[in-house]
Amino acid sequence: MSEEPRLKGPALIEVGGEVAPESFIEAPEGRAMAGVRALASRRASGFARFAGWVFGSLFSLVLTVAAWNFVTGLFAANPWLGGLASVLLVLAVGVVLVLVVGELLAFSRLARLDSIRVQALHAAEVGDLAKARAVLGRLEALYHKREPMAWARARLAERQGEVLDADALLRLAEVELILPLDDLARAEVEAAARQVATVTALIPLALADVATALVSNLRMIRRVAEIYGGRAGSLGSWRLLRRVFLSLVATGAVALTDDLLGSFAGGGILSRLSRRFGEGVVNGALTARVGLAAMEICRPLPFVAAERPGVSATVSRALAGLFGARDQA
Amino acid sequence: MTVGVSDLAEDLWRGLEALALPAPVIRLGVTGLSRAGKTVFITNLVANLLERGRMPQLTARDRIEAVYLQPQPDMTLPRFALEDHLAAMTGDDPRWPQSTRAVSELRLSFRVRGRGFLGGMTGPRVLHVDIVDYPGEWLLDLSLLDKSYEDWSEGVLARITRRAEAAAFMALARAEDGSLALEEPKAIDLAASFTRYLVAARAAGWSDCTPGRFLLPGDLAGSPVLTFAPLPKPASTGRGSLYAEMQVRFEAYKAQVVRPFFRDHFARIDRQVVLVDVLGAIHQGPRAVEDLRRTMAEVLAAFRPGQNGWLDWMLGGKRVERILFAATKADHLHHRQHAALTAITEALLRDAKARADFAGAETMALSLASLRCTVEEEISRGGETLDAVRGRLADGRVVAMYPGELPGDPARILAPAREGAEKWLNADFALMAFSPSRVARKPGEGPPHIRLDRAAEFLVGDRL
Repeated sequence: MSEEPRLKGPALIEVGGEVAPESFIEAPEGRAMAGVRALASRRASGFARFAGWVFGSLFSLVLTVAAWNFVTGLFAANPWLGGLASVLLVLAVGVVLVLVVGELLAFSRLARLDSIRVQALHAAEVGDLAKARAVLGRLEALYHKREPMAWARARLAERQGEVLDADALLRLAEVELILPLDDLARAEVEAAARQVATVTALIPLALADVATALVSNLRMIRRVAEIYGGRAGSLGSWRLLRRVFLSLVATGAVALTDDLLGSFAGGGILSRLSRRFGEGVVNGALTARVGLAAMEICRPLPFVAAERPGVSATVSRALAGLFGARDQA
Repeated sequence: MTVGVSDLAEDLWRGLEALALPAPVIRLGVTGLSRAGKTVFITNLVANLLERGRMPQLTARDRIEAVYLQPQPDMTLPRFALEDHLAAMTGDDPRWPQSTRAVSELRLSFRVRGRGFLGGMTGPRVLHVDIVDYPGEWLLDLSLLDKSYEDWSEGVLARITRRAEAAAFMALARAEDGSLALEEPKAIDLAASFTRYLVAARAAGWSDCTPGRFLLPGDLAGSPVLTFAPLPKPASTGRGSLYAEMQVRFEAYKAQVVRPFFRDHFARIDRQVVLVDVLGAIHQGPRAVEDLRRTMAEVLAAFRPGQNGWLDWMLGGKRVERILFAATKADHLHHRQHAALTAITEALLRDAKARADFAGAETMALSLASLRCTVEEEISRGGETLDAVRGRLADGRVVAMYPGELPGDPARILAPAREGAEKWLNADFALMAFSPSRVARKPGEGPPHIRLDRAAEFLVGDRL
C-alpha cells in the first residue's frame, strides 16, 4: 500500500456520481456501497489528523479532569459517595483496559494469519520442506481447538509424513483444512451480499441504506476473519474493512459500473425495469467483491489448490434466491 | 473470474469425446534399463491408482469414480502379473519381484466424473491407460536401429578393449580374420564368447550391453539372427565371408527382432516415463555414470517427442507428448538430498530433455521411489548430524545409512564421468540395497511410495 492508491481513491469516488450526457437513464452506481467505501477508504489529511489528535487529547484531558474533580468533590461532600464513585471509576478503567487488550489480541491474531501466509508463500517458493512443515505446525496450533476440524486435522497428520515436497504439503493442507473453511466463508459472503441487495433495493431513505450496507459489510468481514481463525474485534474489523477497500482500490476492482457484471445486471435490463432494483444488485455485487477480497486477506494460505472464487459466480449464487430464480439460496 | 475461451473449447472437446468418440486411450511407455525398477514402478503405480488413499497430489483423485483392470486389448500378449508382484512386495516376507523376462501388458480403465462447463451434462467419462512391461535389456536394442554393423562393431570394440570382462572375447575376435569364408562353428564360438562377455559386463554394472536378446534370447536362442558378434573390419569383405555374413545377420536382427518390438510397443506411445537408477550408477563410479549417460541418450533418440496435432491424429502417427525423467530409489536418500539427485538426473539426460523441450513436448524431472522401504532418521557421527535413512537389508538386518553427500552442482558428477576418471574426487558414495519392509496398510491405501502421485499427475492427470 504505497502512496499512489491512496491518492487515487477519492478521485474514483467523485467520478462515480457523474452522468453521461447522452444517457437518459442514470446508471445505478451502488450508492450505498459508494458511501461505505467513502467512509472506509477515507484517508485523513495531515492537518485533519493533527486536529483529531488535538481534539482527542483535549477531550480526554477534560474527561479525566472532570472525573477527578467529580470524585474529589464527592469525597469532600460525602466520603461514602466518594468511595463508591472511585470504585466505579476504577472498574470503568478496568473495563476499558480489558477492551483495549482484547482489541490488541485481535490485531495480533490477524497479523498471525498474515505471517502464516507469507511464510507459506516463502516455503513454496524456496521448496523447503522444513519450512512448509513449520507452516503446518502453525496451522495446527491455529485450529487445534476446533472440534469440527478434528477429522481433517487427523487426516492431514496421517498423510503429512509421506509428502516430501514443500508445495505438495502446503497444497495438501489447503485441501484438507482450508477448503471447508472457504465454503463457510463464501456462504457468509453470499448472505451479506443478499442482505445488502435486498435492503438497498427496498429502503428508500438516503442514509439508512449506507448505514445498513456498512453494518452488513463489517459483520461479514468479521465473520470471514473468524472463520479463518482471526477473531477480529470491532476495531480490527474496521481496520480489515479499510484494508479490503485499499486492496480493492489498488487492483482497480472498485470501479464497478464499467464492470461486465455491473453493466449486465445493474446498468442493463434490471435498471430499466426499476432503478432501485438495479441499485440493489450493484450494491450486492460490490458487497460480494468486498467479501471475496476479505477472504483473500484473511486466508492463512494463498489460493493454490483451489481456484479463487469468482465474483460473478458468487453474486449469481447469492442473488439467485433473492429474485426468485431458485427457491434455495 | 471468467471462463476462458480455451477452457470452454477444452470442455466442448471433452464433451464431444464423451459423446461421440470411443473412449480415449493413453499408452504409457515405461522406459528404463534393466534393474531400473520398471516392474516395481508399474506395479505400485497401478496399485496406488486402484487404492488412491496415498495419492494426494493426483488432483483428479476426488473425481475418479472407479478404476478397473481390464483385459488388455492385445490378444497375443500375457497380462502383467500385477497380483504376483504386489504379493511379493507387500506380503509377509516382502521382497523385490523377479526380473522381467518377457513382454506383458496391462490396461487400466478410469471412470471419471467430468468437470467444468459440460461436465455435469455428459456424465462420467472413461479413459484407458495401457502399460507395457518388458525386459530392460531389450530396450538397449533401440540404439541399434540407426547404426550399421560397421559402426556398431567399431564402437563396441573400442569401448570394451579396456574392460577386464571382455579379455577372452577380445582375444578371440582379434585372432579372427573376417575376410575368410564363414564357418558356422566359428560364428557360434564368437557369439557364445560375446554373450559370456555381455553377461559378465551386465553383472559388473555396465549399461551398454547390446544386443539385448543375447542376454534374454527367449525362443530365438541358437537361431542365426542371434549368432553374430562385433569384428574388426578386414581389408576385403567378399560375398560369403565371415564379416559379410555377420553384417547380414546384424541387419536381420535389426529388421526382424528390434523393429517389430519397437513398432508394437513404443511407436505409438503418447506418454513416457524414463526411469534411471542414477544413485546406483553414482555408487559404481564415474565410468558407470558416463556409460549410463551415453546409453540413455542413444536409446531415447529412438523416440519422437512433440505435440500431437490434428494431422498426426488423423494419420495415426503419434508423438510422445509428455516425458518424465525420474531418478528411482529416492528412498535411499534423505529428502534433503532429493533436489540434488533430481538436478543430476536432469543434467544426465540433458540431451534427450532438450530435444523433447524443443519439439514441444512437456518434460519434468523428479526423484521418486516406486516402493518406499525406508524411513528418515537423523544419526550423529563424530559430533555432526547426518540425514540418514533406516531400512531393512536383504539379510534381515535393519540399518541406518547415510550414502554420502551428493554435490549440489551436477557438474561435479558429470564432468569427471565424461573425462573418464577412475574414482570420484574428494567424494565417496556408499549404497546399500534395501529390501521392502512390512507395512500395515489401512483400507483404501496403496503401498507407500515417494512422489508416485506427482508422477501420475504429470503423466495422466491432465486427461482425467
